[in-house]
Amino acid sequence: MSGGSARSLGKGEACPPRSAIRDPRRPSDACWGQAAPERSHAGGSAPPGQVPEGLIRVYSMRFCPFAKRTLLVLKAKGIGHEVININLKNKPEWFFKKNPFGLVPVLENSQGQVIYESAITCEYLDEAYPGKKLLPDDPYEKACQKMVFELFSKVLTNKKTAFFGGSSLSMIDYLIWPWFEWLVALELNEYVDHTPNLKLWMAAMMKDPAVSSLFIDPKAFRGFLDLYLQNNLEACDYGL
Amino acid sequence: MRFCPYAHRTRLVLLAKGIRHEVININLRNKPEWYFTKHPFGQIPVLENSKCELIYESVIACEYLDDAYPGRKLYPYDYYERARQKMLLELFYKVPHLTKECLVALRCGRECADLKLALRQEFCNLEEILGYQNTIFFGGDCISMIDYLFWPWFERLDVYGIADCVHHTPALRLWIAAMKQDPTVCALLTDKNIFLGFLNLYFQNNPNAFDYGLSC
Repeated sequence: MSGGSARSLGKGEACPPRSAIRDPRRPSDACWGQAAPERSHAGGSAPPGQVPEGLIRVYSMRFCPFAKRTLLVLKAKGIGHEVININLKNKPEWFFKKNPFGLVPVLENSQGQVIYESAITCEYLDEAYPGKKLLPDDPYEKACQKMVFELFSKVLTNKKTAFFGGSSLSMIDYLIWPWFEWLVALELNEYVDHTPNLKLWMAAMMKDPAVSSLFIDPKAFRGFLDLYLQNNLEACDYGL
Repeated sequence: MRFCPYAHRTRLVLLAKGIRHEVININLRNKPEWYFTKHPFGQIPVLENSKCELIYESVIACEYLDDAYPGRKLYPYDYYERARQKMLLELFYKVPHLTKECLVALRCGRECADLKLALRQEFCNLEEILGYQNTIFFGGDCISMIDYLFWPWFERLDVYGIADCVHHTPALRLWIAAMKQDPTVCALLTDKNIFLGFLNLYFQNNPNAFDYGLSC
C-alpha cells in the first residue's frame, strides 16, 4: 500500500476484507495448480471464460477419486493448470456443454478442446506434454498396464452383478474384501461414495455372517497400525 | 472364433495394417484346458507373439497392433484426435450388450421392442456425432481405428434381425455403405447364410456351431 495518498480509515469505518490482501511474493495460485481450495461451481453459476494461454484447465471435485487421477498426473508431470471445482450434487447447466455425461474430470485447453474420462485425460496429458513419460514406450509394456487397469476397473465398477462372482457371495468376494475392510476400519469408506456399485457391495458384504463375525474393530486396527508403523514388535498383539 | 465381434475387431486391424498372422479358433462352448493359460477367463481375442507375450481385451489388442507394427497408422497422430476417438468409444459401450440382447430375445421368440428402442437411441447419439462433424467416417474423411472398432456390430445388424434400427439414422446408413466399400471390411465380410447357419446351431446348443460352413 503506498504511503502518502491513501485516506486513513476512521472510527466506525469497516475493516477491509481479508480477500483484498494479496501477498505479491506468492505466485498466482491459478498458475501453478496450487490447490487453493476453490468453492465449487453450482447450478445458476456463470460459465467460466476461455482457458488462458499456456495453461490447461481441469474441471474437478476435491473428493472425487477419478478426478484425483488427473490431478496426480498434472502434478507428477509439472503441467501448469487451473482447477475449477464442480458441485456434483447441483451441477451448473454450462458444465454439460463441456461433458455431455456431466462427470468430472474434464480437461479443457486454451484452444477450447475438451477431453473427458479419467483414463483418457491421463493418457492425453502423458502424450501431449514433455517431461517424464508415465506410460511405458514399449507397446507390450503399455498394453500390460492397460490390461491391469481393465481388471481394476472391473473391481471398481462391477456393473453387472451384485457380487463379483454373480448374484450371490462367493470366493472372489472374500478374496477382495479384506482391503475394503481396511477402508472401513480407517473410516475412509466415504471414498467409495462416487462408485455406488462398490458402496452397495460393501454394504452387502458387511451383512454376511462370516464378514461381520470377523470384522476388525476400528480402534484396535488403528492401534495396531500406529505400532506397526513404528516397527514396534508388539504391534501384532495390540489389544490382547 | 469366426463369428465373434470382438475378435473381428482384431482381425480387421491385422488385415488393415498388413500384419502377417495366424489364426487359432477356440470352441467357446468346449474350451481346451490349455486355453486358460492364455486368458484367465478363457475369453477371446488374445494375441500371442513369438516372445510368448499375451495381450487381451479387444481394444487393448488393437491399440497394441497399431503401436507395435509399422506402416499405416489407424489411430491419428494428433494427441487430441486420439483422445477424441477414445471418447467416441465410450459413447458406443452400450451397443454390444443391446444388440446381443435383441438377438437372444428374437431367437427365443420374445418381445424386444424396449431393447430396440434403447438401441435406436444409441444409434441416434452416433448419428448426432456424424452430423456435428459433417464427415463420412467417425474419425474424419478417411476410415480409421474407431470405425473398425464399431464395425463388427453393424455388420451383424441384418443377420441378427435388427437392421430396421438404422431406419431413422441416414448418416449412419451412409457410414455403413462407405464401410462396405473398404477393402479390409470387404475381405472379412461373412456370408449371410453361413452366419445364419452358425446362429441356428448356436441357439440349438450344438457344440459344432462354431465350425459351421467349414468344408473339412
